[in-house]
Amino acid sequence: MGLLSLLIFLPLLALAGILLIPSRYQQSYKYVALVITLVQLGLSGYLYTQFNPNLAGINQLSGYQFVEVLPWIRLDLGAIGKLEIDYFLGVDGFSLPLLLLSAFVMLMAVGASWNISKSRKGYFALLMLLNTAVMGIFCALDFFLFYVFYEVMLLPLYFLIGIWGGERREYAAIKFFLYTLFGSVFMLLIIVGLYFSVLNPHTGAHTFNMLYMMNPDNYIDGSFFGYINNSFDVFGIPARMIGFIVLFIAFAIKIPIVPLHTWLPDAHVEAPTPVSIILAGILLKIGGYGIIRICIAIFPDAAAEANWWLALIGVISILYGAFNALAQTDLKRLIAYSSVSHMGFVLLGISALTAESLSGAMFQMLSHGFLSAALFFLVGVLYDRVHDRYIYNFRGIAGIMPKYTAYVAIAFFASLGLPGFSAFIGEAFVIIGTFNAESVGTGIPRWMAIFGSLGILLSAAYFLWTLQRMFFGETRLKGGETWAVAMNDLTVREQLILFPALALALLLGIMPSLAFEPMNNAVLGLLKLVENYL
Amino acid sequence: MTAIANISPITAAIWVVLLPLLAFLIQAILGKRAKSGNIALIAIILSTLLSGVFVFAEIWKGIPRSVTYPWFTIGISTFTVGVLLNNLTVLMQLLVCIIALPVHIYSRAYMKGDPGIHRYWMYLSLFCFAMLGLSISKNLFMMYIFWELVGFASYLLIGFWFTKESAVQANKKAFIVNRIGDLGFLIGIAILFSVYGTLDLVELFGKEGRFLQTLVDQPGLITAAGLCFFLGAMAKSAQFPLHVWLPDAMEGPTAVSSLIHAATMVAAGVFLLSAVFPLFNAQVLLVIALIGVITAASAAFFALTQTDIKKILAFSTISQLGFMMVAIGIGAWDAAMFHLVTHAFFKCLLFLGAGAVIHEMAHLKDSHNLQIDPQNIQQMGGLKAYMPKTFILMAIASLSLAGFPLTSGFLSKDAILISTYEWAIHHGGGYLLIPIVMTIVSILTAFYIGRLIFKVFFGKFRTAVPQVSIHEAGNSMLLPMAFLAICSLFFIFSWNPISYHHAGVFQGFHVAYSFHEIHSLHIIIPIGLSLAACIAWFIGWKWYVKQQYPLQADSTLMRFSYNQGYINTFYQLTVVEGSLRLAKAAYWFDKTIIDGLVNGLGRFTRMLSQVSAWIDTYLVDGLINSLAGAAYYLGHLLRWVQNGRLQNYLGFAFTVLLIGIIYLIFT
Amino acid sequence: MISITHFLVVSAIIFSIGLYAIIAKRNAIMILVGIELIINAAILNFVAFGRYDKLNYGGQVFALFAIVLAAAAVAVGLAIILAVYRKYKTINPDNITDLQD
Repeated sequence: MGLLSLLIFLPLLALAGILLIPSRYQQSYKYVALVITLVQLGLSGYLYTQFNPNLAGINQLSGYQFVEVLPWIRLDLGAIGKLEIDYFLGVDGFSLPLLLLSAFVMLMAVGASWNISKSRKGYFALLMLLNTAVMGIFCALDFFLFYVFYEVMLLPLYFLIGIWGGERREYAAIKFFLYTLFGSVFMLLIIVGLYFSVLNPHTGAHTFNMLYMMNPDNYIDGSFFGYINNSFDVFGIPARMIGFIVLFIAFAIKIPIVPLHTWLPDAHVEAPTPVSIILAGILLKIGGYGIIRICIAIFPDAAAEANWWLALIGVISILYGAFNALAQTDLKRLIAYSSVSHMGFVLLGISALTAESLSGAMFQMLSHGFLSAALFFLVGVLYDRVHDRYIYNFRGIAGIMPKYTAYVAIAFFASLGLPGFSAFIGEAFVIIGTFNAESVGTGIPRWMAIFGSLGILLSAAYFLWTLQRMFFGETRLKGGETWAVAMNDLTVREQLILFPALALALLLGIMPSLAFEPMNNAVLGLLKLVENYL
Repeated sequence: MTAIANISPITAAIWVVLLPLLAFLIQAILGKRAKSGNIALIAIILSTLLSGVFVFAEIWKGIPRSVTYPWFTIGISTFTVGVLLNNLTVLMQLLVCIIALPVHIYSRAYMKGDPGIHRYWMYLSLFCFAMLGLSISKNLFMMYIFWELVGFASYLLIGFWFTKESAVQANKKAFIVNRIGDLGFLIGIAILFSVYGTLDLVELFGKEGRFLQTLVDQPGLITAAGLCFFLGAMAKSAQFPLHVWLPDAMEGPTAVSSLIHAATMVAAGVFLLSAVFPLFNAQVLLVIALIGVITAASAAFFALTQTDIKKILAFSTISQLGFMMVAIGIGAWDAAMFHLVTHAFFKCLLFLGAGAVIHEMAHLKDSHNLQIDPQNIQQMGGLKAYMPKTFILMAIASLSLAGFPLTSGFLSKDAILISTYEWAIHHGGGYLLIPIVMTIVSILTAFYIGRLIFKVFFGKFRTAVPQVSIHEAGNSMLLPMAFLAICSLFFIFSWNPISYHHAGVFQGFHVAYSFHEIHSLHIIIPIGLSLAACIAWFIGWKWYVKQQYPLQADSTLMRFSYNQGYINTFYQLTVVEGSLRLAKAAYWFDKTIIDGLVNGLGRFTRMLSQVSAWIDTYLVDGLINSLAGAAYYLGHLLRWVQNGRLQNYLGFAFTVLLIGIIYLIFT
Repeated sequence: MISITHFLVVSAIIFSIGLYAIIAKRNAIMILVGIELIINAAILNFVAFGRYDKLNYGGQVFALFAIVLAAAAVAVGLAIILAVYRKYKTINPDNITDLQD
């Protein structure tokens, strides 16, 4: 059993343990979860140290590391051929940093779940199931396996939001579920289409192997997604383009893009704090990762053709999300919309298809993972104390919660792109790289970079305005004295969770090579894949 | 000892930057235990010493040195960090140290007893770190980082008294307005990177630099880059129309205003433009000059009627920054740097002096429980008698600001004004308007600073108190001021009090002007300006001291000036309200249209399902039921036959038999 | 000349009268009479067709046999009617519907 399998299935072990331990000992569930996530973090840290940054990955099996291949499902279907599904794992420069991020955010989420009291058994069991699914998504290199993990992820999230959420939790959970399912159902069609279009060059059977799907030579001439003699179209759009678009929509819902983003504010606001952390810290990244790993790598030709529209959507998301954030009166909703804005940078960076912008987009994902997790946790801290998040109900928090205010200020400034923190590097390189796109010739005009950069300005506006409204000024709370008493400063546990997240954001901001180095070759490899079609 | 003596300027320069950072970190960890400010003070003293002895002395007028370290690699391009030491950067670094040091000392007395003083020292160290780093950055990207960090430190310090609503409004405004400029800077960086593939200042603008070597097929792009960098400088150096944050920034402690918002940070824009000067072509330079002159004129006009002592000085700073911008616009960036240096000293001094006055007024307010604004010059007057030393020091600074002979301001202002005249004459025509406006601005400068001095120090004390308990500030405040006052005099910069050409700062740069020197101007302008300043002061004396004020206090023009040209109101109504309205509209759109669409889709699906349920119940199930019903009915019908009557059975049997027979017969 | 047809017609008429009696009469005795009439119609046919079997007189022998049988059947039938009457206190077949489902 390889390290990646261990990483993926450790939480299942925890799940079994949690289910077996009788409810009398329910205090122990969180410790089980904590230990397992700690081990996972250690394991992914070990992977990071053992990772060879000189290998590119992407479409070369030799470029992937910690690879595990096991035949999983083999069925002889007679005339249709042989069904060939592998248990195929491996990481490259794109997945490794995200794996590390996921392990970290999971740990944060477990820490934030410390005071969950409503049916702990179910809660931690679902959390561990989610953990498995997330890790699996980032490791899977077989499209079928990927899809399995992708769907498994939905189930625990649905229950976590729907049972442990806020007032409108059922609405939010169903909305979230349907949105994601909407994307993934169509994804399944494309997967099947790809399956029938691609042959494993070694066995001659149809395959779900993503790496084979990335190589044009493996496509059957005249097949639905084939490169050569492809006369298929849907509503007048060539088949390969439609495949790209459908996959893009599936992942774009996750990112999320405007106008497919409305599940996010509701899900974030209604979800309990730890789930918000996971949603913002990991789930959104699955969208970005999917676009890089699947949409662009499998359909580079369509990606090169459609990237102008993708970038436009990115720019719209940036500005639209920022303006919406500016209009919010609920702190959590504000941060949710700021996520839309910040993830817009990711899409813009990916679609600009230059080394700087793509690296910037990856970096922005990591940075947003740490920072949004911290931000949602901070909102949770306030909500735990007074069960209110309405911005105008608070004023001058700095006077009674100085430590909390300091953490909030740091997290806000880090998110709005203060140099020294990771978000700055991410956003700056998305902008620089996008600007460079016209020189490189990837078809993204410069004005998109300029409009995108307005998002940086707006992020300063909404974060600073919030800081001014809620934290500064004379202390005045809606709940009066009772609130002032309830709002005690951060506890040690809370600081233990927050500090590493912000410290990592700082570390990445000062030493970006920690993230850039492992992904650099992968970025170049991906660009080489697309280059031919630009 | 030799090891210390042999320390390389590069290492020293890096330590100059790192020491305040170290101080910041230590104070951040110590938190409330670091109240005295000793750590910050020691750091800045060491930095100043290192900067003066090991960096400035080694590099000034010597060979520029630089060092580059790789930072990270993206794709095939490696981004570096580096230290660039040339005349420009070491001068800037030393200047920051020399201004910061007295401000630190001054702050010990000025900020004493403030409950948040530990934060104050922390922020101050952070600012010094960022500003010193900015000054020696070799790389534009690195410079951008420090550029934003100084903005951040400035944000923290403006909002130092965070319970004061106006302060937190002001720091938000400052940061956001600066962000606009930062975006310009960032886009400028992006342009340079996409055209030249490097952001290293030496690689770009050095003798063998790519800027000169590379042929650019899009000259418009370079113009755009120039304008972008200028936008960055405009925000940081408070140029019209982005100057609005600076007067508000006066909400911070006065020592901070003097260091950050008068002497160093706001000058960073001028410094940046000097550093990337080769980038600018004629169009961009003209824009810079125009914006500069508009800024100088409008700020001087606004300064005339302000009643807040710090706001007067703030507008004066903006106006002087406008002067520097004009100097850059005409190509005389050495003159701009010269004025930057001299301005730093006398403006810092003016603020510190104002701080001393405000300090006393605030004490007065507290001890008598008065309802006055301690910064309002209408409440002061006659302070000359109570604070004679402060008066003398501020008078020196004012003279320097007004460009009076024997002061440093005289030299630098003449340098700019004369060069501008020469430039304008070289170009002729409408260009002459620029120096003429600037001449008027110079006279206005003399007038408004005279007004300040007259209102504060002359006449009678205008606040009604039984006993004026105002006295001189302590030595730890006076000594730094005295030091700055000495630096505001001519001999620090040049042995010749009349001609700026001999100034040391000037000789450090070798800037080739595009225009010829006109000797007669070098005599006429200084004399004319000095005379005009004297006349302005005489008028001011008559108006404000002798109380022969001839003007309507609330005329339209005065109100226009007092309200800063209603620019803030205009921005509030257009930009701020506009964006908020846009934000609300966007949210409305999101909630009603997009989410409405989604929810509508949900409702539509539910409706569809209801229709389908109806169809299922009434059509599909109905069909099945009616089939069953028909079968049942048929069965019922046949059941009637089975009535148990033998005769019926027989009858049927026979009937069927009969039918069978008939059938057989007919077939 | 009286042909076979005349015999058959008479037989058919007797059969029909018997049938009518069986189906329509409300009295079990009358039904029994009907049955007798049908049997006699059959016997008449036997006798009539017996003409064509001059060797064995099979028709006439069978007719005699049938007459005996009919007498026996009447005895049995009357016995059943008696039993039915005892059970139902009626011999109207309309009232005896035990065969109903």
